[in-house]
Amino acid sequence: MTTATDTRTRTIKIKIKRCDGPGKPAYWQTFSVPVKRGEGANVISCLQYIAANPITDGGVATTPVAWKSGCLEEVCGACTMVINGKVRQSCSCLMDSACPNEGDTLTLEPMRKFPVIRDLFVDRTRLFESLKRVKAWVPIDNLWEQGAGPKETPDEQQTRYKLSECMSCGCCMDACPQFHQIADSAKWQTAFIGAAPISQVRYFNLHKTGATLKADRLSEMASQGGVSDCGNAQNCVKHCPKSIPLTESIAAVGRATTIHAIKQFFTGK
Amino acid sequence: MSESANTAQPAVPAPFLLRRLHSLAGIIPIGAFLCIHLTTNASIVWGRLGHGGVETFQHEVNFIHSTPFLLLIEVFGLWLPIGFHAVLGFYYAFTGSSNVAHYGYGANWRYTLQRLTGYFGFIFILYHVATLRWGWTWLPFASGFDAHTAASSTAQAIQGGADTSALGGFLIGALYLIGVLALIYHLANGLWTAAITWGLTISAGAQRRWGFVCSGAGLALAALGVMAFVGFVTLDLEAARQTESRLHSEIVNADTPQIAPAVAENNTTTNQSER
Amino acid sequence: MAAENKNARVIVVGGGLAGLAACVRLAEQGVSVDCFSIVPVKRSHSVCAQGGINATNEIARQQGFSEWMHMDETLFGGDFLADQPPVYEMTHWAPRIIDLLDRMGVPFNRTPEGQRDLRLFGGSLFKRTHFSGATTGQQLMYALDEQVRRYEAEGKVAKYESWEFLWPITRGEGAERRCVGIVAQDLRTMQIRAFPAEAVIMATGGCGLIFGKSTNSVMCTGGAAARCYQAGAWYANGEMIQVHPTAIPGADKCRLMSESARGEGGRVWVPAKKGDTRDPRQIPENERYYLLEERYPKYGNLVPRDIASREIFSVCVDDHMGVDGRNQVYLDLSFKDRDELDRKLGGILEIYEKFAGEDPHDVPMKIFPAVHYTMGGLWTTFTPQERPADPRQDLNCGRDTVTGMKFGAANTMMTNITGLYAFGECNFAYHGATRLGANALLSCIFDGLFSGQGVVNYVRTEAEPVENVHQSLYDEAVQQEHFKTQRLIETAEAGHNDPATNPYQIALEMGDEMTAACTVVKTGPRMEQAMTRLRELQDRYQNVRLADGGMWTNQNLSFTRALGDMLILAEAILQGSINREESRGSHYRPDFPDRDDQRFHKTTIAKFNAKTGRPDFDYRDVVTGLVKLRPRDYGKTSSEPKKSKEPATV
Repeated sequence: MTTATDTRTRTIKIKIKRCDGPGKPAYWQTFSVPVKRGEGANVISCLQYIAANPITDGGVATTPVAWKSGCLEEVCGACTMVINGKVRQSCSCLMDSACPNEGDTLTLEPMRKFPVIRDLFVDRTRLFESLKRVKAWVPIDNLWEQGAGPKETPDEQQTRYKLSECMSCGCCMDACPQFHQIADSAKWQTAFIGAAPISQVRYFNLHKTGATLKADRLSEMASQGGVSDCGNAQNCVKHCPKSIPLTESIAAVGRATTIHAIKQFFTGK
Repeated sequence: MSESANTAQPAVPAPFLLRRLHSLAGIIPIGAFLCIHLTTNASIVWGRLGHGGVETFQHEVNFIHSTPFLLLIEVFGLWLPIGFHAVLGFYYAFTGSSNVAHYGYGANWRYTLQRLTGYFGFIFILYHVATLRWGWTWLPFASGFDAHTAASSTAQAIQGGADTSALGGFLIGALYLIGVLALIYHLANGLWTAAITWGLTISAGAQRRWGFVCSGAGLALAALGVMAFVGFVTLDLEAARQTESRLHSEIVNADTPQIAPAVAENNTTTNQSER
Repeated sequence: MAAENKNARVIVVGGGLAGLAACVRLAEQGVSVDCFSIVPVKRSHSVCAQGGINATNEIARQQGFSEWMHMDETLFGGDFLADQPPVYEMTHWAPRIIDLLDRMGVPFNRTPEGQRDLRLFGGSLFKRTHFSGATTGQQLMYALDEQVRRYEAEGKVAKYESWEFLWPITRGEGAERRCVGIVAQDLRTMQIRAFPAEAVIMATGGCGLIFGKSTNSVMCTGGAAARCYQAGAWYANGEMIQVHPTAIPGADKCRLMSESARGEGGRVWVPAKKGDTRDPRQIPENERYYLLEERYPKYGNLVPRDIASREIFSVCVDDHMGVDGRNQVYLDLSFKDRDELDRKLGGILEIYEKFAGEDPHDVPMKIFPAVHYTMGGLWTTFTPQERPADPRQDLNCGRDTVTGMKFGAANTMMTNITGLYAFGECNFAYHGATRLGANALLSCIFDGLFSGQGVVNYVRTEAEPVENVHQSLYDEAVQQEHFKTQRLIETAEAGHNDPATNPYQIALEMGDEMTAACTVVKTGPRMEQAMTRLRELQDRYQNVRLADGGMWTNQNLSFTRALGDMLILAEAILQGSINREESRGSHYRPDFPDRDDQRFHKTTIAKFNAKTGRPDFDYRDVVTGLVKLRPRDYGKTSSEPKKSKEPATV
């Protein structure tokens, strides 16, 4: 661990893939950022520095870089970026480990599977639309007082809790070789849905009231772009910042869909 | 409520059905056939423990060729399923885009290899079936298969056909070795992913354990494949032909006991039998 | 009004717990909703709430506690600055809110029998905090987000995400003034548009960013509330800013370490010997100074936040006993069972490990107070309702009748501008001078569900249909915002980084100054000095320059605009602090160390004076009638470290 007095400043380089807007060409800019050791500097604090000092390494006066962030503690899912080639949350990318030495370079790119709005800011509408696609909600009757919800065991709660931590950051989709960038929203409905919404299918089907929509969700999973489009590359689970067991969810939903389909085959519903 | 359970489609959705049939076809009949096929071919080596490699292999081939409606079984049990699996497989594979350059993890490599072995394996199967089964000997370095001289004709094909140049032997040998291993990988990894797809292995632990089983099965098949390959590549064609000729005449003698063994011996150089 | 308006439309600004709960209530009642949020609603700051949500349950009642006690603790915790009827209503609605969330599928932690588990929280003597791991806010907000998504799929809610609220549109003057819509800007295309509505609900949270590094998310500038304030909405109790005692200091923000860490037995200590640099694990029990346990034997580590913050602050700043000589103390959970910690606190321990690089299962965490919650906010009103006391809910209250709020009253949580409401953290209504842990989630959802019904009734029966409003009113409002935007855009110069006029630099200095002068310890002279600095910053802001003059996803513009609003709101907060010459709750003035009920048992109301650009102040009596005021000391004993120590039982 760094000691309390060790606050030596070093200068690191942040190389950023920029883009002024949809349809505009991408270009790279590099910025020098002074960083103090042991003070928890991260990608966000570096981007904040660049926003206040928008001058590139080559002395070019430019505009502040656009990016999205929110909670800065890995619960909101906003600040997903491709850092040194791999997708992750940028707030938890600490400079003391990512760029420990003078002159080290960190590369920032926007997510690959979502359309760029500007610089590192991408449009993840599709992700939220996919939650509608799988009816990711518990269909309660109304808001009036009707007593508690269904009981569940601590084990059931623990399973559901883990799945409920999904913050729709999109890391699992960005790292997936089966998931592609699609600008045309009309095609989202039949394109591979990605790991997170599949895991949400499992989450809601595990709830007693949520399960009333189970058949709808599994039918969606059996349709074009559903769970069987998964190619089992399993990058999703490696890149989930919340360590959600996505591949287990995919297998569980695969099983449920198989049973659902067999039932459909024999009973017609 | 506007949404309720009975809005589900009354039939099994086609995309799902095709995916599952694709998966199933890879295991039964294709995977099962691959196991049998490799076991049969490997008899060129393990047969030596008993009657001798060439003899055992010939015996196996004779057994297969004695099956009634063989062509029908081949068409509907093998060629069509392989075609189905391949066409869908190509389509599915084209919907993915490998990213091992950025994410070089084991499972991601296996995902990528599954697709590459699929492409290569299919080309290999085409060449293999076209030359040895359909007799398209006009293909480069090709020679045909003769059920009566099963081992020698197979060996000749793998050794580069009638063209005895080193290049042909090397190319076709490599094609066979890599092709066979690719298909075995494709089957073993396919078994691993199928267990996830169908929902047999859910927990990460179950997937890992099943992974060991699939690896074991794959290694065993690879051993059979390599055994067969080595057996055929190193087969002495001349000696094999003599053995086959002897076997053939034994069969002919069994059918027509009047003819002396010596007579049959003279026919060894004939490629095609009387029939 | 005559006929019921069936086509009524309500704008909800903000998609956190309060905003989403309001959307759900309105949509369920058949009112069309437009929900505006600067971020996708699922990324709202409510996800950061960790510890839990308070509600009395049946076990507590059988043990002699009740909703009444929850109310009493809330009022006592808030040092009696909150109006009492809203707190009564909120605490009494709490159990049914929990039930509803449970029905929505929130994965509340469970007992072995399958009942919802409870944990102990600050400022309470009984367990009443429901929780879902250590990410309760996230779980509750997702449940509401899911319900809103369902209504969105049914076409009952329209979301405008990545849209920034710019200004409320009003018509009429004085008491007749009504809110009839908003102006908002798409932060991607930079399009500015007016949106008409019969009513507008502000649910835009707190203003932590005024203090620079806080536990708040990057969008918690208070900009939206500050714009309403400038448009004439009153801002109440601005000086009441909660500093959370346990946060992890960082370069970009201070990350919250939930009170649940103490609720689950976490102990706050420093080495008893000043300058002891040993590894904390090597320091024996009797050489540790458990400051909160020794100073407050009754509540121990679970004293309310303002007290814990002050004690930690004084141990570090006054006594120089901070760990490694820095402003930090230990928060220790390392003696607890690893599995149990994972089950109950997994989420937050993971945050510490990720951002501090040490495993809190093994070593004590290093923490320091940070600005956390805005008790003050837009002033709102309500309709009191007297009713008989309920022997179950109001156990031993010693009264025949109680006073709550009337459900469905149109003015519930309405600001002084008719039709403009404020829900959740952005109003001032429930927490008085400091907020008890796990009451924030409750107040936000309560506002959405309870106060939301008032909005339904208002737009149906009292509001004038917006069809009657002339289009020119909307056009003018848009024009006004275009003008302001243009003024900023014209200053742009690529690469601009002159500290004097750089918005980020001005924000940094404002944050540092506000944190130093106006948080844990406030004194008159220091705050006057800060006011001078603030005025300087406001002057510098007049010449602020952007580095981006484009009209596509210009975040530079959005930030700089919010900075201007923050500077104005900061002044109201600072002046309110200077004016309140007493110590109450989180507002601690060593120069006026006692609570002065005679002069200051009053709500501070800041009214923006458009002529001077400064706040005018007004003071209103706090609405009481349920609980008598009493000293708030939480049984403090001596503040000196004892010589010999026994390990306290937890």
